[in-house]
Amino acid sequence: MSEAEVHTSEERQTAAAGRECCAQLLRLQVPADAICWHRFFGALQLALIGLLFLTGVLMALAYTPVPGTAYDSVDYFQFSLPFGDVVRGVHHYAWNLLLVVMGLHLLRALVLGAYKSPRQPVWISGVLFLLVMPLFIITGDLLPWDQKGYWSTQVRFSIIASIPVAGDFLLQLFRGGPLTGIVALTRLYVLHILLLPGALVLLIGLHMYFLGTRGLSGPLSGNAAHGPKVPFLPDIVNRWLAVFLLSAIGLGLVAWQWPAALGDPADPTDSAFIPRPEWWVLSLNQLVAIFRGPFMVLGSAIIPGGLVFLLGALPFLDRSPERRPSKRLGVMLAAAVVLAALAVLSVMGYVEHFVRPEH
Amino acid sequence: MSKWLIAMIAAILYAAVVFAAAPSPDDTGVMTITARYVKAPPAGIDDPVWQRTAQVQVPVTGRLEMAAVNEIVSTRALYTDGELYFLLSWEDPTRSVTKESWQFDGEKWVHLKGDEDRVALLFEIDRINLFSSKSCAVVCHSPADLPRSQWKLATRTTAEKGDLWHWKAARSAPYRHADDGWLTVAGNPSGSYRETGRRNDAGSGGDVKNETPDGSRPLYMQDPARKPSAPGFLLVEEAVPIADYSIFKAGDVIPYRLPVKPGGSRFDVKAESRHADGRWTVMLHRKFNTGQEDDVVFDPRKRFSFAIAVFDDTGGDHSKATRSLVLNFKR
Repeated sequence: MSEAEVHTSEERQTAAAGRECCAQLLRLQVPADAICWHRFFGALQLALIGLLFLTGVLMALAYTPVPGTAYDSVDYFQFSLPFGDVVRGVHHYAWNLLLVVMGLHLLRALVLGAYKSPRQPVWISGVLFLLVMPLFIITGDLLPWDQKGYWSTQVRFSIIASIPVAGDFLLQLFRGGPLTGIVALTRLYVLHILLLPGALVLLIGLHMYFLGTRGLSGPLSGNAAHGPKVPFLPDIVNRWLAVFLLSAIGLGLVAWQWPAALGDPADPTDSAFIPRPEWWVLSLNQLVAIFRGPFMVLGSAIIPGGLVFLLGALPFLDRSPERRPSKRLGVMLAAAVVLAALAVLSVMGYVEHFVRPEH
Repeated sequence: MSKWLIAMIAAILYAAVVFAAAPSPDDTGVMTITARYVKAPPAGIDDPVWQRTAQVQVPVTGRLEMAAVNEIVSTRALYTDGELYFLLSWEDPTRSVTKESWQFDGEKWVHLKGDEDRVALLFEIDRINLFSSKSCAVVCHSPADLPRSQWKLATRTTAEKGDLWHWKAARSAPYRHADDGWLTVAGNPSGSYRETGRRNDAGSGGDVKNETPDGSRPLYMQDPARKPSAPGFLLVEEAVPIADYSIFKAGDVIPYRLPVKPGGSRFDVKAESRHADGRWTVMLHRKFNTGQEDDVVFDPRKRFSFAIAVFDDTGGDHSKATRSLVLNFKR
């Protein structure tokens, strides 16, 4: 066979594989309640991530990751380019909403026992999101090079440095030098727009793959396999597009009405600036504040890390096939205690930082 | 899923957006002046709308030899669809507008002691490095590595530009405006014994010295044929050369600095002022966008760093200035 014939044959095979993939998608039948009025957190999460990607790409077109000009480029994007404030606002609000939706998605799966066999990999891949998402925040907050982002990053770097054994290495990895400057900004920028999105896409793919192979969690009683099915294309895709459009319009309106704040430019010499933690990190901040000095690592790494580990290991700790919450009192009680602790820590953090700030 | 659960989830999602929309009040040490939106512009200093506007008591502090001097400038701000208004009020027992006026003592002309009261506002046209946290310290005064005797009021690079509104009780108040200038790198030796970065906005304005070439007596007097439009001051457009000095008697006073009718971009900042009950009250207002490169463009979506300095009976830079201030807009 000549070289030209080999090429032609390969092209035919590729085209055939593509056609087969499309045909499979068209034939794909999924449970009718995959996206519906009582199961939409996953779809909403994907829609918000999509919005974050889109708005992030638009912002990256105007952004310059250099300390001297980063702030001005964000200021220019937000206030001088048409709809810049809406785009940045959507990025800001989508992120905040994503954290809430992620929490609710996880809570729903926990309460309804969706982590049980055979869906353990779906659960574990979902818990892995909890490890990636905070990195987006850590890397993204510094990018506008404003006072809040700069000093929040300093606080986070000091927490990272307190992690035993790996702390100094991780700090060096993020910061790239003794000071938070151009190297740190470049590294966090690359992480934020390249490496972390790559990891996130991989995780989403993995989560979807396990969803496809292990199935959705069905009703608490009865057999989901016998439930009604609908074609993935166009039914489910159209429903997801509706979620995406509604989210985009809703967040766009919110961003238009209340633009995302842009503080003052960072001044690394202004140690008088004390950043106040965001709502979602109040509990973690409080944990760090409770365990001071040599015990700081308890609050900064061991307790949060241990909780994530326990969450990931849940399918192996609770192996019974029972999914009804009333029959899983141990897990429910433990979840309630953790949630209550997080709520109390958040309230304590709120009081400390916003109601009675000492500084 | 029950409707109560759905309602709860909707409430949580709504709360998340509300939380995200709420500005986080960081402990920055920076005071914020919030301009309130009004449909109709205030008619003047006494417009009741000012009484309904929250005032911020902004401390101003002296430096070096005036370090112990502290005062408060009550600051209010309003905005309409296209204009920004400030109402500033501070304690000053004496109304200083003398500005070294001439006085005839019966034999010769001498300069009276006394200068003028002033207030200045500084904004960023193009970002001035560290201005938002260090305020006037980075422009109004000499940086630590430069001798104070040689340099004042300038930015470090041409990319940094400031917008200076300078209300002067004796020289700009008569024309009901604040002299509009801008700030760039030092290198302008005129108008000061030190190099300064101050520049006048395009247009006419300022003042001229009223003295004969030998500096021994005034050159101009009020045109007897015209009624003074600003009693107590002598405007260039209403001045005529003194033809006969014998008409003056002992104790007669003639202003030394004659305001020039302002025009162009230098006349962008309008002002009203009053000294009463031991206080100055000054209302300043300007269009959001004058269309001039030498003016900051206000945008109600943004926050603006700025600083205020007050000067008591001085022609020099012995001011009391604020720390960093932030102006934001609230509908």
